[in-house]
Amino acid sequence: MAAKPDAELAALLEDALYNERKRLEKSKDESKAEHEVLERLARALVTDDRHGRIDAACELVGMWADEIHGRFEPKMYRFATRVLPRALTGLLSSKPSRFRDWDLSPDRRLKIHGDLDLLRQLCKESTLILVPTHLSNLDSPLIGLALHQAGLPPFVYGAGLNLFSNAIMGFFMHRLGAYTVDRTKQSLLYKDVLKDYSVRCLTTRHHSLFFPGGTRARSGAVETKLKKGLLGTGLVAWQEMLEAKRPDPDVYVVPLTLSSTLVLEAATLIDDHLAELGKQRYIITDDEFAEARMVASFGRRVLDLDASIVAHFGDPLDTLGNPVSKDPIERHAQAIERRRYVCDRDGLVQRDEQRDHMYTDRLAGEIAAAFPRGAHVLPTHIVAWVGWRSLELRTNSRDPFRLVRVPPEARRIPRAKFLERLGKVMEQVLVGAGAGRWHVDLPPSPSSVLDVAIDRFARFHKTRAVAAVGDDIVVEDPKLCMYYRNRLLFANPELNA
Amino acid sequence: MTRMKIGILGGGRWGQALARLAQAAGHDPLVAYRDKAEKPPHIIPSTNDPPRVAQECDLLIAATSASELRSAIKLARPGPGNRVIIAGRGIEPGSGLWLSQVVQEECDAVRIGALAGPAPVDEILNGGLCAGVVASPYAEVRALFTTGLHSTRYRVYESDDLAGVQLAGAFVPVLATLLGMATTLRGAGVGVHAMVVARGLEEGGRLAKAIGARPETLSGLAGVGDLMASQATTAHPNFQAGVALAKGDRSQGPRAIAETIVKLARASRVEMPLTEAMVEIWKGLDPLEAVQGLMSRKATKEHG
Repeated sequence: MAAKPDAELAALLEDALYNERKRLEKSKDESKAEHEVLERLARALVTDDRHGRIDAACELVGMWADEIHGRFEPKMYRFATRVLPRALTGLLSSKPSRFRDWDLSPDRRLKIHGDLDLLRQLCKESTLILVPTHLSNLDSPLIGLALHQAGLPPFVYGAGLNLFSNAIMGFFMHRLGAYTVDRTKQSLLYKDVLKDYSVRCLTTRHHSLFFPGGTRARSGAVETKLKKGLLGTGLVAWQEMLEAKRPDPDVYVVPLTLSSTLVLEAATLIDDHLAELGKQRYIITDDEFAEARMVASFGRRVLDLDASIVAHFGDPLDTLGNPVSKDPIERHAQAIERRRYVCDRDGLVQRDEQRDHMYTDRLAGEIAAAFPRGAHVLPTHIVAWVGWRSLELRTNSRDPFRLVRVPPEARRIPRAKFLERLGKVMEQVLVGAGAGRWHVDLPPSPSSVLDVAIDRFARFHKTRAVAAVGDDIVVEDPKLCMYYRNRLLFANPELNA
Repeated sequence: MTRMKIGILGGGRWGQALARLAQAAGHDPLVAYRDKAEKPPHIIPSTNDPPRVAQECDLLIAATSASELRSAIKLARPGPGNRVIIAGRGIEPGSGLWLSQVVQEECDAVRIGALAGPAPVDEILNGGLCAGVVASPYAEVRALFTTGLHSTRYRVYESDDLAGVQLAGAFVPVLATLLGMATTLRGAGVGVHAMVVARGLEEGGRLAKAIGARPETLSGLAGVGDLMASQATTAHPNFQAGVALAKGDRSQGPRAIAETIVKLARASRVEMPLTEAMVEIWKGLDPLEAVQGLMSRKATKEHG
């Protein structure tokens, strides 16, 4: 946290006091120590006691820092990377009766794309920030698996406090490099502490992972609006390392697009999205992820499938959003040239918060543009797209609230008609993929795409997004259909059924 | 005050005028010209080596026409340390790109701004007083330009509405042409003149809002200010293009920019009847018919 003038500091502390008191009023299990620190801070603010104010602020910041701080243990990581991927994929296998036949190879389930050689090289010569799309609470362990499978080192990442509530999960998450983010703490001071923590991680060469969407995408769509708070810490860390004349100051940002056949929490998330068109709950603590039985069921029925999840690492960017060269000599020249974005003619770093905000805006724009390029169109997405489009055509409306209430008899589409529409959309999707705007992982014919999707939709959710009934295709659960269809929103203007 | 070296790309009269304003503010301009015909008088330091200008000056002002900006930037090759201010007219004809996008396409500079407002070049070269607005999302770029050019001869106002200032820079010449045409048409008088100014700025404001710019930018120096300067003298090139248009000469005026604005408006679902009428006139519609068409439109609210 940069040194602040007295008045600014007082305003920051008043904001912290107000927000923390409000938060503590709502929560009942907070420690006595926190109440006491807040009382001391309140007294110091009222009496204008500068030293008391600073002491109380330091105590509060210290408490938060202790809560945030991850406890990465190399031994635990080595153990986990040796055992967990196989254990996880084995555990998730749906063939418990044929124990010996388990295919324990994780790379069957998780397909990884991207220039991994370049990323492995960049890990050695710089600090990386991985910015994935975010659909599910299962994303963090799956990304851990993807990193391991890609031969990349561990990344530290911020995980919501609610995810640590499970003792076993919390134990592993802490020791595998997760630090704690409490999204109920809304004060600017807490956010500053989090950002500072991230800067410290980066300047000590810990590769980091942020979910720039901030939370799981409620609608199922690829994120277009990104949060810039933590994202901007890469730029700050780079400047700090330049000031320290470090030989390896560069920080690069790698977009990662995850594409999933099914999403564990889809039903809850889409409900929340529709409610959010009113008001968002933001932190969901009672979704499918909170039920161990549901997670296990999801694992057995979905993650066991071949290529049920695709992780696509995009091309690396610098902290201003510029592309990073694959050629080491050119990359070195870029690194020197890039300093002029923040240094004066004498090579001295010129700090400028407003400029850095704009640079981070630019970076966020480039990441948002990179996400669709790494997206893989899967059978469930495209079939849901056609299902939803069929509802739109049937009702002559695009109002989602009307479409989710279409009566069952109006949600039946003759299979031949559905396949005709699907074929048309597949052609358009393939054109976009050919132009490099996204990727496709689809069986060759519309009927096989439809069959695969119907099989997938029947695997986990209580209701099916799209199902086959006799000679008809039925949009059984319009909300789920909307959720999976939303994954292709980035291609919206180009897809017409 | 530290003397600053200010690079100016383009040795034409607008480039020279900006160089003189930099001198008036106590700084050292360095003008990059392309050929002898463009070489400024000796009183203004100049070179025909544009990359040198980009290397020696942190602040670069591109004083070229919109159609020449791309080649000027390619020649000078501004880098990450440069702050580039575009002193041209908003949109590149042909590509339809904002000039700030053109700069970003052609070089590594990202700290970009635009200058707009009345630019009576002859008056400035003769020591006249004037004002302009510099817009950039980067506060330091605005501050650097203000330090470089603000003086008792030239007042610089700052804005963070880069899109609005670029839109105004592109749109005002279209309106000025329309004014030139309107005042020449048989039967047109003060009423038509006033209507074009007020309704023109209204439709420009609608487009500004739709593209995320601020409508009030059109009411400032970049909009009203520039429009006043364009029609205060009948010798203004855009006004003259309008006069020629009224007489059937369709070869002059900012047709490409008007067409781009109409495309942008359609994509943003904004009605711009005056600009659309101008485009139709350039395509061959009789101006009187166009005016009749405009006058017979349904009654509507003044704003919104």
